[in-house]
Amino acid sequence: MNRRRRTDLLIDLGLGIFGLLMLTPLIMLVANAFKTPEEMLSWPPTLIPRDPTLDNLTSVLNETPLLSWIGNSLAFALLSTLAIVATSGIAGYIVAKFPFRTINIVFALFLATAIVPFEVYMIPLYFQVKQLGLLNTVPGLLVGYLVMSFGIFLIRQNVLASIPDELIEAARIDGGGEMWIFWHIVLPLLRGPLAALAVLAFFQAWTAFAWPMIVATKRSAYTIEVGLALFQTGYTVDLGRLSAASACVLVPSVLAFVLLRRNFVQGVAATGMKE
Amino acid sequence: MLRRRRWRFAVMALLPTFAIFAWVRLYPIVQTLNLSLHDWNLLSKNKPFVGLSNFIELFGDRLFLTALGNTAIIAFGVMLLTIPSAMVLAGLIHYRTRSRFAGFYETSVFIPHVVSLVPAAMAWKWIFDAKLGPLNALITRLGGEPQSWLFDPYLSVLCVIILCSWQALGYAVLIFLVGFRNLPTSVYEAARLDGASGIQSFRFLSVPLLKPITLYVSVVTLISGFNVYAQAFVLASDAQGAPGRLVRVLVLDMLENSFRNYRVGYAAAEAVILLVIVLVLTGAQFALLRERNGR
Amino acid sequence: MHYTRNLRGSLLGAASLMVLALPAAAQEVTVWSGYPELGPFYEHVAEGMNAKYPDLKVNVEPIALREHEKRVALGITSGLEGATVIELPGSTASRYVENDLLPVPPQDVVDFVKDPANFGPFFVDAASNNGQVYGVPLFRGQGALFYNTEMFEAAGLTEPPKTMEEYTEYAEKLTQRDADGNPTVSGWSLRLSGGGQGIAEKFWINMFQYGGNVLEQTADGKWKADYANEAGLKALRQYIDLVQTKKTVTVEMPADAEAFERGQTAMFIRESWVIGDIAAKAPDLKYATAPLPVGSIALPGNLYVAGDADDADIRAAWDFVLATNEPDNLVWLLANVGWLPNRSGVDYSSVTDSVPQFAAFVDYPEGYKFFTLPSIGPIEEVLTRLAAALSEAYADPSLAGDDDKIMAVLQRAEDETNAILEREGLLGE
Repeated sequence: MNRRRRTDLLIDLGLGIFGLLMLTPLIMLVANAFKTPEEMLSWPPTLIPRDPTLDNLTSVLNETPLLSWIGNSLAFALLSTLAIVATSGIAGYIVAKFPFRTINIVFALFLATAIVPFEVYMIPLYFQVKQLGLLNTVPGLLVGYLVMSFGIFLIRQNVLASIPDELIEAARIDGGGEMWIFWHIVLPLLRGPLAALAVLAFFQAWTAFAWPMIVATKRSAYTIEVGLALFQTGYTVDLGRLSAASACVLVPSVLAFVLLRRNFVQGVAATGMKE
Repeated sequence: MLRRRRWRFAVMALLPTFAIFAWVRLYPIVQTLNLSLHDWNLLSKNKPFVGLSNFIELFGDRLFLTALGNTAIIAFGVMLLTIPSAMVLAGLIHYRTRSRFAGFYETSVFIPHVVSLVPAAMAWKWIFDAKLGPLNALITRLGGEPQSWLFDPYLSVLCVIILCSWQALGYAVLIFLVGFRNLPTSVYEAARLDGASGIQSFRFLSVPLLKPITLYVSVVTLISGFNVYAQAFVLASDAQGAPGRLVRVLVLDMLENSFRNYRVGYAAAEAVILLVIVLVLTGAQFALLRERNGR
Repeated sequence: MHYTRNLRGSLLGAASLMVLALPAAAQEVTVWSGYPELGPFYEHVAEGMNAKYPDLKVNVEPIALREHEKRVALGITSGLEGATVIELPGSTASRYVENDLLPVPPQDVVDFVKDPANFGPFFVDAASNNGQVYGVPLFRGQGALFYNTEMFEAAGLTEPPKTMEEYTEYAEKLTQRDADGNPTVSGWSLRLSGGGQGIAEKFWINMFQYGGNVLEQTADGKWKADYANEAGLKALRQYIDLVQTKKTVTVEMPADAEAFERGQTAMFIRESWVIGDIAAKAPDLKYATAPLPVGSIALPGNLYVAGDADDADIRAAWDFVLATNEPDNLVWLLANVGWLPNRSGVDYSSVTDSVPQFAAFVDYPEGYKFFTLPSIGPIEEVLTRLAAALSEAYADPSLAGDDDKIMAVLQRAEDETNAILEREGLLGE
């Protein structure tokens, strides 16, 4: 008993240290946001700013429309999440529980496109968006992020693991229509994995870079990620200001994740609690 | 009759998703395949058909071959570093699910995956900096020789691998955790009653049971490894204070060919090669796992 | 109850949105620049236009050069929404002009550019294609030596170096080293790494001092690579000698303007914008500038207008372009940003007198030569590939002292350049 507690403690210690190490680069980035230009250049580098300053932060907030970029990113990420959750929920259920040959082929196709890197077909996709006149708009951004192969896979796995065929058969025998079964029996059982998928989809869109970079060419249409890249000018990178801008985005998004994580983990755990 | 009705429902329900897939995935991919057989400079209205000549030229192109080599090393490096450690980490976190700090472990490992890439890469660029970075400060403190991380031909590739792994780890851990939580607890109970240690049940129960998940995560990690671009780009960005050695990777070479050299057809041919490589690797991985499972 | 309140609320919201959206119907011009430090200049020009265009909204959108090139390529080919002023070097613009993607300016703009009182023939040519004017010259990138006078004094040097041999000698004297002999302050900062064509451009500048050019125009008006020769050998040998043998600079040392501003290098060659950058970031730095031994690059940046917009907006965009070239604005550009304006007949002395460092850019010696990047489509590809070969060579210790091996590197790169030219039908005899 005692030995077990000691290994538990050791594991906790190891995981704790590892977790901190994973966060170190981000902590350093936030710390850099409060350093003076002189301190940024000092050797050895400091972890905690000796002489914290808000100059970086104020100059970033005054000189860039950071808030409207965050607004664009938020709209884009939320709509993308909605689209991905809807398409993955239906498609994941169908490919799991309707073992027809056609359906299996379609599922294989879904998975196969996941293999193709986005950059491979980004340019033809850009011309499609252009043809629709959607450049510099949120719907234009959305075109690249409407579906997610992994989402379909995740839902399929969860359906296979947690929804027995008997349950659906019983509902059918009771006279439930297919749509009714999906809506009233399957969906409630998938709440957990769908929430997990929602978080993944949200952050995928939130951190998208290459696609918004070409679809949004107007300053007012930038997402936050593209806006941040602006600080990386061709000539001099002002690391203090870049860090300050990054911190402005990092801190709320990390907080959002930490808050969402509760639902998220509960949701994921709920799928495994059936046994 | 019943079967037919169910089939019709399945098709109707799947149709919207499939239509979107066809529109935003399949069609552009086919377009890329088509472009790779043409010569197009992005500007002119005519795109002459050139057959396979883009591909033939690629295999004599020094920069492309360099990019191919670097990308392969990075992709496999990231996979080899990420998958085993993610599995162990997920196992440990799962084992300590009831710990007060379980939330912290999970969050801290996953956060690098959700933060924006540009600032994260900038943070790492500073860490690796030969003259100002904390990494060399630490090495000097420990009595080691400071390294020029971003400039050495080997170390600069390693830097990209570390940065990519840092980002990829959280995703792999998350998927493994879902896998662990879906494993039947009864089997573990039985193993424990038989006197199996934690490590034993990890080795002989979890690892084989998680095989499908491992397969999926490995494929995804490998693919995103082949996709590496922004990481290499930011680490070598033209920032004057400290540019780094440009680790030429496939996507970077591709974008350079289409937007700097205006050779969209040529870049599309590169994309097709990238696609073929990834397809072959995925196929090999599936075959390997199936064979092992069969045995 | 709740529903109606919500409904009314959203109706009110929609109405206020419409009110907000209305003023946007006024005229709008977007400015795309590849130099973030020019952002304030364009804003300044826009403010000056208030009197003539009270309703004009100018969106100044400068981003890093490489991203700028990408958005221009995509934007121009697929059609730009709204009148857009685009800043491009003539060498890049030729590609778009040849494909009919950049419109011809109104006659008064053409006349303004062609007026010999305004621009020298070099700049008119750079803004034209086959004799037709497409853009308006604005500024140029021209190089000179920047040197830290305090470090020169400490090393017992009073004059800037005058020959390339002296550059090497100076670099050795100026390098500061730690106890182990490793350089801590580079004597002469060289561009040795990074992405893009910068490495090749800098190499070209050094090679030009030895009398060579990376690309030479042939009698038939086409081009051929010309650097696997004496001048190329001398230039590359000097780089390798300094990096590998004399170790006056290392690949990983901080480099360029930032290093100079922080006192981490004693001298380097760069364009005039560094003067503005130093004024902003290191105002106390003691430094001077000097012309290069033989001559310099002169890379003209022009303004073009493109986009689907009504005539009034396009006209406003061209008026904006003309406004950038007003004497007051050009003096402001020189004083606050540091890029050199191209327009002649403007009195810049108020700036050049108070900032002596501009002298090396404006009052260069008799017979000082200039070169520019040829206006050919694959120029970026040529330079990017040369850059890749060069950065590999700089980091290769086995090349030190081995002229045959250095020559082999150059020959291989030259063959590659000529292969690109041949593919594009541009290779001369």
